[in-house]
Amino acid sequence: MSDRILDQLVDAIERRQTAALLTVTAADGDYAPCLGRRCLLWPDAEREPAGDLGLGALAHNVLADAREALEVREHRLLSYSRPEGTVAVFVEVQAQPPHLIIAGAGHIAAPLAAIAHTCDFQVTVLDDRPQYARPERFPHARVIAGPFREELRALRGQGPGLGENDYIVLVTRGHQHDIDCLLEVLDDPLAYIGMIGSRRRVHAVFELLEREQGIPAAKFDRVHAPIGLDIGARTPAEIAVCIMAEIINVQRGGPAESLSEQIRRARQARRERAANRP
Amino acid sequence: MPASIYHELKKLRAAGLPAAVATIVEVKGSVPREVGAKMIIHPYGKHIGTVGGGCGEAEVIRAGLDVLQDGRPRNIQVDLTEEISMQSLGVCGGTMTVFVEAWQESS
Repeated sequence: MSDRILDQLVDAIERRQTAALLTVTAADGDYAPCLGRRCLLWPDAEREPAGDLGLGALAHNVLADAREALEVREHRLLSYSRPEGTVAVFVEVQAQPPHLIIAGAGHIAAPLAAIAHTCDFQVTVLDDRPQYARPERFPHARVIAGPFREELRALRGQGPGLGENDYIVLVTRGHQHDIDCLLEVLDDPLAYIGMIGSRRRVHAVFELLEREQGIPAAKFDRVHAPIGLDIGARTPAEIAVCIMAEIINVQRGGPAESLSEQIRRARQARRERAANRP
Repeated sequence: MPASIYHELKKLRAAGLPAAVATIVEVKGSVPREVGAKMIIHPYGKHIGTVGGGCGEAEVIRAGLDVLQDGRPRNIQVDLTEEISMQSLGVCGGTMTVFVEAWQESS
């Protein structure tokens, strides 16, 4: 039975499907024989769980509580105390690995792809220069050589599209390409958008887009530009570390302040002043 | 994608080797790894993954070898709250509960 669960779990991981593995980690009283039993729960409520914890009437509550953990993608230890005995069930959520798209296959992209892979991200690298977008430069990434906007659009069109599991870093060779990519994904519910550029440059770019393309200013609030955390990075590899640090800070809800925070605050304050003006 | 610990477990199973799996299920205070971190305890010492290293992990490995012997799953309390001294290098300040189980046909 365990083998069947293991096979299905490995299969789900390979297909990048989310699943929760439930294990009875403590049990006494009538529940004692259930210790160590496992089952697999799927996000699709219609799909029958694989395996059985053997908890009888309690199973209904356990599966409902486990489903809650599955929905928020969080491991959780559940405990129950009943006249028949006590039970603890560990819910381990196998979520899809996060996906990082790096637009631009240059000097920052190479170390960034390696670091992101080490941090268990799936990595896609995109560039319109085939001499840079080469698999040998990015042994752990999926590499796409083609025009930025078209290829990004194709990525958006695959499966459910880009969403809360996707992160994008815009580090192309020229700001025009960064902006093209930014405009392509600006309305997607991505976990993270980061764009390289100096404070002055970023400020000017946002203003230009507001003015010439009529994009509402608030839409740029979630763009991390200048990109990264302020760790004094200088070399391309150091900048890759500072970008990855920001991505982890966003992913884990950490307290570090992004380099883009100052610009964001200044732009928001200016909008508020404008709104309060009679 | 990096191969998951379950891929490794499957390989061990295919090779006919028994393996124990340790999982951090609860933490209190500051500990070296997060809830859900896992480790495979290999009968010949080729362990895979980590539940934080150091003395705490050594305790977990011993428990894993016991579980391989008797097949009984158990919870190990790892206490990292000792006084900070030159003798105790791996002190983080917290405690964690690690569930240790065998993956075998009968379960």
